[in-house]
Amino acid sequence: MDSVDLEHFLVIGAILFGIGLYMSLAKRNFVGVLIGIELMFNGVNLTFISFSRFVESAEPLNGHIFVIFVITVAAAEAAVALALAVLLYRLRDTINVDQIDLLKW
Amino acid sequence: MSTSLEWGLLAPEFLLAGWAAFIILIDLFWGGLGKERLGWLAAIGAAAAGGLSLIWVGDTKEFGTLADINDYTTLFRVLFCGIGATICILSARYVKDRLLHPGEFYALILLAVIGANGMAAAHELLTAYISLELLSFSLYTLTAYAKFDLRSNEAGLKYMLLGAFSSAIFLYGIGLIYGTTGSTQFAVIGDVLSGDTSDIEWGMYMGLALIIGGLGFKVAAVPFHMYTPDAYEGAPIPITALISALAKAAGFAFFLKLFAVAFLPLIDDWRYFIAGLAVATMALGNLVAIQQRNMKRLLAYSSIGQVGYLLVGIAALSQDTASALVLHLIGYAVTNLAAFTCIILYYNWTGKEEIEDYKGLAQRAPYVALCLTIALFSLAGMPLFAGFTTKFILFQAAADEDMLWLAGVAAFFSFVSLYYYLIVIREMYVGEAEEKTRFPTPWLEYTALTVLIAGVFLIGLYPRPVLELAEDATATIFVSEELESGEDLVGVP
Repeated sequence: MDSVDLEHFLVIGAILFGIGLYMSLAKRNFVGVLIGIELMFNGVNLTFISFSRFVESAEPLNGHIFVIFVITVAAAEAAVALALAVLLYRLRDTINVDQIDLLKW
Repeated sequence: MSTSLEWGLLAPEFLLAGWAAFIILIDLFWGGLGKERLGWLAAIGAAAAGGLSLIWVGDTKEFGTLADINDYTTLFRVLFCGIGATICILSARYVKDRLLHPGEFYALILLAVIGANGMAAAHELLTAYISLELLSFSLYTLTAYAKFDLRSNEAGLKYMLLGAFSSAIFLYGIGLIYGTTGSTQFAVIGDVLSGDTSDIEWGMYMGLALIIGGLGFKVAAVPFHMYTPDAYEGAPIPITALISALAKAAGFAFFLKLFAVAFLPLIDDWRYFIAGLAVATMALGNLVAIQQRNMKRLLAYSSIGQVGYLLVGIAALSQDTASALVLHLIGYAVTNLAAFTCIILYYNWTGKEEIEDYKGLAQRAPYVALCLTIALFSLAGMPLFAGFTTKFILFQAAADEDMLWLAGVAAFFSFVSLYYYLIVIREMYVGEAEEKTRFPTPWLEYTALTVLIAGVFLIGLYPRPVLELAEDATATIFVSEELESGEDLVGVP
């Protein structure tokens, strides 16, 4: 067997990102969409980590630092989004994004 | 990598953050101060931060490898702090009448200004990304701030979901650029891309496309504009003004710097892509605006159209177009704030925001009607006002870069836009008001409005000083580009 190298990690990252992309576009439930977006973030994180492991760079640690910040931002994102979801559920009894349609055109 | 950082360079941001905490504490422990005065206090903080950033006029300094403090940063810092202070003053009455929790409201506005400052200052992708998210999160929360208003919540939800989605796409683009160039520094990326790129082409183009897509979402370019009208209509009106002025200006400050420093070597690859986006944005924004009935939604589509004009400046990027772009951005921010001031005032009086509600405004508040007319004419690009001069300089600069056809398209759509602005003006002057009574005069808001309108005329009639500021500012970002390519320069450490 060949050793595991950069391409494998990048492909996994791209697949994760793709699944997340599909989920966030196809799901109708607010939380489902949010999970899709988180999955996209994780695909990005994997890409960053594998680049900073394999690519020759003057600043090899930048990729790691980036990932730590992305994880933090994703957590903050989830906090804001879930607060909004709770608020909407209280007022409307639904978090289905298709039924939240007061504003259009 | 430098180990000693000059923390003092970020003093305006520290001041803003401290002031935001101070506002929250005041609100908590001294409720007797009143919701209105809290807004004025926040405005003082923002104005002080803007004044503080003037210390670095003419300086070229770097904060580690993260950000630089030069004329470009200073110009945008002053602009953003000015926008923040104006919005705080304008929201005072609105917050008092219609919102709960004023402390957090003003604090979030100040935090959004920090994010915007960071986007203009960053010369590294991570710093830029974090600043972008700080700005966006503040705006998501503020958009949904009217807690029991269904439209406000819905707007916040849509803005938040699409914003998070677009930042994931943007991040993937950053990841690919980092992987192919080995750096997140704008200047180093520019350096690598100006060399031989044949073996990194695939990742590089993917990354570039994803970054353009992600940024397109943030500045609301077609086809990534879907959230804009909803977010604008649902948000509390002062926040609509904040999104349209601050978020857009910050987005373009970052867009311009990133593309001028990092991606300029690839200009032949992306300029027609951006030109296509610009045409689509101008067309859709201006044509859909024609059939709008709601004032906020009208201004949302008109601001999409304005993004199209700004993208013309990016598509024809050079030092001249960059300064014209910065000038147009300043003119647009001032004009748009003036228009929103009128709408906020009218909403405070009547609680209405449909275009037909503006019937007979000229009889009930002649000064506001006049100012709104001036602002709308300026947005449409009529001579005498800021919109005409800045667009003229921008389109001329674009034409000099062999983008004459694009400038022609932009001029055509700017003519189309006159139609829907005139609809509003007709309602105000030709329509008969149901009641004839005059509205009371809020002096503070009128003063702010007068200053903004004076700015519209200043830029419209005598743009030279502002244009020179913009030229100094953009000279600094193009200097760092030349420095990287090895030309010798005087006075740059």
